[in-house]
Amino acid sequence: MGSQNSKVSAQDKAILDMKVQRDKLHQYQKRIKVLTDRETEIARECLRRNDKSKALLALRRKKYQESLLQKTDEQLASLEILTNDVEFAVVQRDVLYGLQQGTKVLKEIHKEMGGIEGVERLLGESADAQAYQKEISEMLSGRMTNQDEDEVEDELEALAKEVNGVDIELPDAPTQDLERKETAKERRERRTREREAEQPHQQRAEPMLA
Amino acid sequence: MPDPLPPAYTNETFPFPPHYSFPPFFTLQPNPLTRTSQLQSWSSLILSYTRHHRLSTLSVVESYNTPLFHNPSLNRRLPTSDIREILTYMSSKDGGERVEWIGKHGKDGGAGGKCWVYWRRPEEWADVLESWVERTGQKGVVLTLYEIGEGDATVGAEFHGLDPELLQKSLGVLVKKGRAQIFGAGEDQLGVKFF
Repeated sequence: MGSQNSKVSAQDKAILDMKVQRDKLHQYQKRIKVLTDRETEIARECLRRNDKSKALLALRRKKYQESLLQKTDEQLASLEILTNDVEFAVVQRDVLYGLQQGTKVLKEIHKEMGGIEGVERLLGESADAQAYQKEISEMLSGRMTNQDEDEVEDELEALAKEVNGVDIELPDAPTQDLERKETAKERRERRTREREAEQPHQQRAEPMLA
Repeated sequence: MPDPLPPAYTNETFPFPPHYSFPPFFTLQPNPLTRTSQLQSWSSLILSYTRHHRLSTLSVVESYNTPLFHNPSLNRRLPTSDIREILTYMSSKDGGERVEWIGKHGKDGGAGGKCWVYWRRPEEWADVLESWVERTGQKGVVLTLYEIGEGDATVGAEFHGLDPELLQKSLGVLVKKGRAQIFGAGEDQLGVKFF
């Protein structure tokens, strides 16, 4: 408790004060409830002793205390509303602070990007540069003969092979259609051929069984 | 004044363990081995009894006549010196430090013969409180100590009706860890903010 680091703000203290007040009202209500209960008990006791006037007095006191109770209820409600309002205001303030921070950061980032004109200028510049590049390559390729071009491409190929390390001659992809149906047919044919080849054996075997 | 008991817990009778009906249980045995196991049985009986009745303190003199140390059906009771010894055992490391004497008269609990009985230690209460704060989204909210212990919002919570001093001790654990701060003017106007 002694260390007063500023994690607790003035608002916190104000809220605490209000909540403490609320607690006190709570305790007050408890006390009054005990009192009213006792007054009822006293009234009952007095009636038992046939002391009507005293019983009446006790009941009057009870009535008065109950009116106090009602009043404190109202006070309690208004105190609670106020506390809630303050707490909500604190939340709102925090939200606002968050928004401020976010906006600030966003603005800074925008500033780094140099504003809309900056972005436009940059985009324009990059388009220009791209166009220029295209022009250069067109000029270069335009000036070369077909033979030169072929040589350049050959060299590129050679270089690519070198870069890829081993000189792998990849097989060409098959140019014919895959003969799936034909293989099925072939299989059938093969089977019949095999069966024909086997038949003599079976024919020889069957009679022996029969 | 006896400790105020929340009515919800006093209605049900405490189920005493079988050894409570065993007469020799009420005399501390001289054999060290038997004695140790007896001390342990008493310790667990005291802890479950105080937990059942939500007692946070025990007074040697006051509790002498309660069913805890007095079994009327056996007509046996534990002498105060033995109560004292058991409580002192419970306050030691061997006894799990479940008891802390109140007052300055050293470990034997001279003074009032009153002690805290920690069926839940302040650190354990701190965990309970912290998880409650977490669960109810009350981080950064200012709460009064009265509100936590007695408020309508905590009715049904385990720490409702907790001894204010023990509550403050438990919150103190969180303060030390930097998870909470207690502030406010005066003993009965304290508030706490959880981080």
